[in-house]
Amino acid sequence: MTAAFLLLALARPFAEAGPAAGCLALAHRGQNIQAENCFARLTSAKDAWARAEGWWGLRRYREANEEFRRAVAERPRDPDRKVRWGRLLLERFNPAEAAELFQEALQIRADHAGALLGMALVAAHGFEQRAVELARRALEADPGCIEARVLLARMALEDGDAERARAEAVEALGLWQEALDAMAVLAAADWIADREPSLWVERALRIHPRYGRLYSEGARFLVLNRRYGDAVQLYRKALELDPSLSGVRSELGINLMRLGRDEEARRELERAYDEGHRDAPTVNALRLLDGAKHFVIRQDAHLVLKLHRKEAAVLEPYAREEAMRALAAFQSKYRVRLDGPVRIELYPDHEDFAVRTLGMPGLGALGVTFERAVAMDSPSARKPGSFHWVSTLWHELNHVIVLARVNNRAPRWFVEGLAVWEESQASPEWGERLTPEILVAVRERKLLPVAALDRGFVRPSYPGQVAVSYYQAGKLCEFMAREWGFQTLLRMLDAFGARQQTPQAIRQTLGLAPEELDARFLSWLEQSLRARLDGFAAWREGMKRLTEAARAGRHLEVVREGPAVRDLYPEYVEAGSAYELLATAHLALGDKAAARGELERYARAGGRDPSLLRQLALLEQEAGRAAEAIGALRRWLYVDPLNEEVHRRLGELLLEQGQVEEAIREFRVLLALGPADAAAAHYALARACHAAGRIAEAKEHVLAALETAPGFRPAQKLLLELNR
Amino acid sequence: MRTLVRLGAALLAAWPMGAATYWVLLAGLGGEPEYEQRFAAWVREAEKIGRASADAHVSVLSGREATAVAIRSLLGELSRRIRPEDSFVLLLVGHGSFDGQQYKFNIPGPDLSGDDLAALLAAITATRQLVVNTTSASGASLEPLRKPGRIVITATKSGMEKNATVFARYWIEALRDAAADADKNDALTALEAFRYASQKTARFYESQKRLATEHPLLEDTGQGAGVRSPDPAGGSGRLAAAFVLLRSAQAQAAARDPARRALLARKEALEQEIDLLKYRKAAMDGAEYRKRLTALLVELARVNEELEK
Repeated sequence: MTAAFLLLALARPFAEAGPAAGCLALAHRGQNIQAENCFARLTSAKDAWARAEGWWGLRRYREANEEFRRAVAERPRDPDRKVRWGRLLLERFNPAEAAELFQEALQIRADHAGALLGMALVAAHGFEQRAVELARRALEADPGCIEARVLLARMALEDGDAERARAEAVEALGLWQEALDAMAVLAAADWIADREPSLWVERALRIHPRYGRLYSEGARFLVLNRRYGDAVQLYRKALELDPSLSGVRSELGINLMRLGRDEEARRELERAYDEGHRDAPTVNALRLLDGAKHFVIRQDAHLVLKLHRKEAAVLEPYAREEAMRALAAFQSKYRVRLDGPVRIELYPDHEDFAVRTLGMPGLGALGVTFERAVAMDSPSARKPGSFHWVSTLWHELNHVIVLARVNNRAPRWFVEGLAVWEESQASPEWGERLTPEILVAVRERKLLPVAALDRGFVRPSYPGQVAVSYYQAGKLCEFMAREWGFQTLLRMLDAFGARQQTPQAIRQTLGLAPEELDARFLSWLEQSLRARLDGFAAWREGMKRLTEAARAGRHLEVVREGPAVRDLYPEYVEAGSAYELLATAHLALGDKAAARGELERYARAGGRDPSLLRQLALLEQEAGRAAEAIGALRRWLYVDPLNEEVHRRLGELLLEQGQVEEAIREFRVLLALGPADAAAAHYALARACHAAGRIAEAKEHVLAALETAPGFRPAQKLLLELNR
Repeated sequence: MRTLVRLGAALLAAWPMGAATYWVLLAGLGGEPEYEQRFAAWVREAEKIGRASADAHVSVLSGREATAVAIRSLLGELSRRIRPEDSFVLLLVGHGSFDGQQYKFNIPGPDLSGDDLAALLAAITATRQLVVNTTSASGASLEPLRKPGRIVITATKSGMEKNATVFARYWIEALRDAAADADKNDALTALEAFRYASQKTARFYESQKRLATEHPLLEDTGQGAGVRSPDPAGGSGRLAAAFVLLRSAQAQAAARDPARRALLARKEALEQEIDLLKYRKAAMDGAEYRKRLTALLVELARVNEELEK
């Protein structure tokens, strides 16, 4: 076979690159100098498309973009040019404009395999379920489309279906035995299964001795499987083979940052940035690291708390207390002993927190666990009442413990399910709410089989499926714990730790086929939700009537009809719930005891509106029910900890009840908030310290109160008393 | 907060026997029922607080009643009644607008511009005046309304902040929340109320995770552009620190009792000494400062004890 013929044969898989096919074939073999020369020659070609490909190959993206613009202007009806331009834009972090070009190509030729593949890649980039269908359509249009086959393999592996992933990758290798990307998928499947993929590594490196992507692909899959530490090792191997992979270097930096190794992270990210890799994740991560000066670290043997300066003094006591409580409970329950501190980072800016989740689905997430590091929204990151940050903290710390027990090897559905279930074990008021969207999903039988449940988290096929999957996973764990006991959950966890897949682990621990578990679980779930499912339409109608009556001030009607509507769907505690309408109507009618009872029910059902919890606390206090008032104030505190009033009221009530140490804590936090009435806050703390017998501290704070407000009579009286 | 020595004395001096405070409360058009109700409720609340104060005369025009003719008539009538030694407070609640040239207070019929309001207020002879414009775009009214001897407070920093505001809510809250009286001297000054309402407004936007669309300003030099954080030591807020909006009933009674005026004078003197001491704090030894502060505070506490008897 002559060299020219060999090159031609090799170039065939790159045919869609038109004039650059030969150059890409050289690059594919790792013949970088020859490939660069080849691309350089293209830059002086007469054809704009060839020049575009040349500049692209030389990583001169701006010039490539300009030449593609000319190439498409020269031949606007040529779909191939549009597709290649789209691929450039997709590679350079612009999926939206890339998708427009692929669409334009499809308007010219509806079955253009490259355009369909491009659309599939854009969808896959956003973890959209339709990526699978688009890739299949690309294969129908061109059964020899290797990239579409590899994409299907990658998506199957992302969904946790290693078997299907292997089958698709092998198909791709059947199409072209040098398909390096297919080998990367096969190697990744081996790494996920804790097998050394020597065969694929050897075979790939024989073709391309510096094929670093083999390792970086594996690393990406390990990240998806929450194995960040293992991923870092593979990223490093990729860069040892090919230090020019600046995108991989950026990913290494981001994952080092996730693990709390900020200095190493900064080095890698800065280098990637300097090499010209300036995509959003790199820039955002560097910006986040630059913002370190705004954070403080509070460390002891068990915890490393990273808190924003402006709220550290407020949040630290609660974060520490709850983290210690959760870790103690979970370590005992899961029989895990952590040998080092857990890192918890609270971000008041959701975008800072989101930087740590880039590249992952579910940017609406509240918290993410990276082995021993938890990053989450601070309570100030969202509108008060929109989430329960302590519940989220417990959820993430459950991940820390569970993943420590199985060395980060368990499917997403089980890890999330345990955490959701444990939230509700810690408090029945916490955990995933039964939203109308979930009820509809159950009614329409949209729940996924357990063996495919991971897909609901990674690649949702309808809006809201991620939330539905969380709920389903939590309920599944609840069902298994109820039917077979918690010990069985631990055994299942260990089966996953031993690298069993979901079907196998279910068979071994429950003695059931996964399909049988699905059937029994669904029957139980539907039974437990029967009243809600049957009454859902009536509830909706009832709520409409109730809301209208409340708006028109027909309070008696609300009071008369409200309880029946509320009881059709008592889990509904969102804004404008029956509880809220009823409490308001009772108050309008002057029946405070009934309003209080309603709000108590609301709180027990997990209601989190700070204004309603405040109202409950005031009503309890007015009724002389101090313990209940303290309970309501604590609920309010945990959804709105940066509110001055809650600390002031809780501190006062605790002090009245003789719980002086807790009162001191509340007043300290109140002072840390920089209250409008600093004098009153100092005075309150002085009183609490006085009650606790801490005279020196009491004097210090009464003086501070009077320094601010010399005429403050109650503080003056305390001063006289302290100086007698 | 007590920041300057001379302000302490000003409080007593600023309370001449027989002087009255005139409150004019105006609620403009809401446009939507929700706003109509909200504006009317805020003004009702302010009216209630004003009427509870013994020396205050309160006038209210709200919603449909608040026409330009009615406002002109009311202010015209008051201009004949108000004496130079009286205090005058104007509160504007509602929507305002700014067309790039002129601020307008939105009321039924023709609106009143910033210049119209300034002309009406020019006839008021009270030497101590406070205008609190809580409407949207109220920042644009600051320039026409400011003049020496008058404190102007606006909910927004310019006419370009056009969204409905919440500043009024917190201004009125300041009038009834004892916490707003930061120095606890039983007298709520315009500066204290402004600081309270500004802080609460800022926290409202922070906690709701919303971009702040109002940034309150205070101007009391008669020539400035208004400041967000007035500091009497720096020149802004001096007038506002001496403008008492409300006093507690006990303070009012004490001031009217000639037998207690000597004690009140001693109290004021001690407060001045404390202010002076605080002023010198940075240059003093910490222990010495603390010792002297404690002594003065203890004496002040005893004077207050006497006053309470």
